[in-house]
Amino acid sequence: MTLFLVLWSVNTAQGYAFNQIVPDVRQPGSASGGSACPVPSHHLTSPAAIAFRWSTTLGTNPKTILTLDQTATGSLNEIEQVIRQSLGVWTSVSGTALTAASFAPLVRNSAANLCGSDGINSICFDQPDMAFTPGVLAFTRVITADQIGIQLGSGVPSTQVGQILDADIYFNPSDSLVSFSTPAALAPSPKSYDLESILTHELGHALGFSHSAIWSAMMFPFAPAPGTFTGMRPTAQQPDAPLGDDDRTGLRVLYHDPADTQFVGSIQGRILPANPLSLPASPPGVSGVFGAHVVAIDAASGSVIAGTLGGWSCQAPGPAQFDGTYEIGALAVNHSYKIYAEPLNGAVGPSEVSNALTSLCRNPTTDPGWPPLQSCVVPQPNLEFTTATRPSP
Amino acid sequence: MSYKDRRRFLWVLFLVGLALIAVVAQATTLVRLRFQDLVHYSYSIARVRCIHAESRVENGEIWTDTSFHVLSHNKGYLPEEIVVRQPGGKFQHLHSHVEGAPEFRPGEEVYLFLSGQPGRQFLIVGWAQGTLRIHPNLRSGGETVTQDSSETPVFDPASKSFTKTGVKNLSIDIFEQRLHREISRETE
Repeated sequence: MTLFLVLWSVNTAQGYAFNQIVPDVRQPGSASGGSACPVPSHHLTSPAAIAFRWSTTLGTNPKTILTLDQTATGSLNEIEQVIRQSLGVWTSVSGTALTAASFAPLVRNSAANLCGSDGINSICFDQPDMAFTPGVLAFTRVITADQIGIQLGSGVPSTQVGQILDADIYFNPSDSLVSFSTPAALAPSPKSYDLESILTHELGHALGFSHSAIWSAMMFPFAPAPGTFTGMRPTAQQPDAPLGDDDRTGLRVLYHDPADTQFVGSIQGRILPANPLSLPASPPGVSGVFGAHVVAIDAASGSVIAGTLGGWSCQAPGPAQFDGTYEIGALAVNHSYKIYAEPLNGAVGPSEVSNALTSLCRNPTTDPGWPPLQSCVVPQPNLEFTTATRPSP
Repeated sequence: MSYKDRRRFLWVLFLVGLALIAVVAQATTLVRLRFQDLVHYSYSIARVRCIHAESRVENGEIWTDTSFHVLSHNKGYLPEEIVVRQPGGKFQHLHSHVEGAPEFRPGEEVYLFLSGQPGRQFLIVGWAQGTLRIHPNLRSGGETVTQDSSETPVFDPASKSFTKTGVKNLSIDIFEQRLHREISRETE
C-alpha cells in the first residue's frame, strides 16, 4: 500500500460529480466553444425554460401507483401533488439559480407512450421499455448535445454545450411485484415503494446529477426499503427537507447563482503520491491520484456537507489533466471543514464507475478526426492508498 | 439482568442491526437483488470477453449494443458470440446517458447475468448488479471477481467511515463454487 498526501487550501473553484460531456472541438469554436474541457449537463434556468409533462396513463392490472384517494380524479390529483412536491424539493434550495420560476407549468397528457427522445421532458408510469429487467425500478434518460444549435424533436435548438435537450423518467410498469405509493398511501401499503423519494431522486438525474456515494444524499443510489422514505418529508417551512447537504451543495455548484453571497467558498487541493513512481505509466501525463472520493465535513457540526470524485482539472482549451485535483465548491463561508479521502477501493476501471469519471476524455480512437492536442485517455482509478492531510502554505 | 438474558439481549440487538442494514440496502433505480435472486432471474450466466461496443438508434432511442465472445457458461445455452443491449450511448452530436447502465471496454472479461433469448439482444439482470468484473490478482496469480454495484465506497455520516457491500474482490474459485451451489439449489 502506498502512502499518498492530500494537499488542501481554501480557494474559489467549482466542480462536482455530474454527468459530464466533452464539447465536440472538431466543430467551429462558435458551435463547440473551442475547449475540450468537460462540461456538466444542465438545463437553462431562465423563466419557464424547463418544461415537464406527465402521463396520466397508469397501470391498472396490477395497479402500480397506489393513492389514498381511489376516485379517478382524486387519484390523479394526488399523484400530481407528489410530482409538484418533488420538483419543489429541488427548486427550494437556497443559493441556486434553479427556482420555481425556471419551470413552466406542469402539464398532464393522457398518451400512454409519452416518453421518448422528442425534446420534451416527460414522466411515465406505464410505459414499457426494453431496458427494464428484474431489479430495475425506475430510470432516467438524459440527452445532451456536444455542440450548440442541436435540436431534438419539437424542442428548441441548444444554446449552450451540455444543455439537456430531453430528460425522461420511466417507472417500471411491468413487474407485478413492484408498486409505488404516494406519501398518503404509503402507510396502508407498506410493501410498496415511496413514489416521492424515487421521483425526487430521478428528478436529480433529470437535472444533471450522477449518483452520490454519501449515505444521506438523495442522489445516493440506494433508497429506502418498501414502506419507508428518504430523509424527511418536505414541509412548508422546509420544502427541501428530503435532500442532504451534499445534494444542496451539488445543486449550488451546478446551477450557480451569481447573486449569492453565502455559498461562495470552496476547497481545492490535490491528492499526490508520496512516491511518484507509483503513478501509472500509461496513459502518459498522470501526475496525481485519480478517482479518489473526497468528502468535506463541517468541523463544528460534524455534518457531511459535500463529496466529490476527484483527480482531474481542466483549463481551456483542454483536455482534462489527471493531476490529482479535487474541488468542492459552493460551501458556506466562515465555516471550517475537515476533508476525508478514500480510493474507489477495488480493481475498478474507468468504464465501471460513474459517468462523472468515464466521459472526461475524447480522442481519435473514440472520435475519428479528434485533434491530438485536445485528446486524452481516462486513466484507471487508483486502487489502494491511505492519506495524510497537509495544509498548504 | 442475568448473563443469559444479557446474551439474548445482545443477540436481539445484533439482529436488529442486521435488519437495519437490510432496510437501507435497497436501490432507487435498482431493487437490491440477492445473489440467489440474480441466479433465479437469469436465463443465462456466462463468463464473456468484450469484443466491441456500438451505439445505434432504434425506436427513436439511443442504445449501445456490446458484442461479447462467450468463454464459458454456467447456466443456460449461449452461442459463441452474443450481443448485450444497454440504454444510452452516443449518436452523432447527441449523448444519451442513463445512470447505472454498465459500460464495457474491448478485451475486458466479465461474468454477466443475462435475461433474454438467443437470437436477440440480451439484457443484464439488475444492470450493475448482474455485472461482475474479473481482475487478475497480482499477489496470488489467480483472479478475483467484483460486482459493479459494490464498487463505490459509501460514506456513512454517522460513523464517518466508508463501507462497501456486494461481491468484492472475491476469489474466482470461491465465486464459481458459490455460483454452482446456487444453480444446483435452483434446479433441485
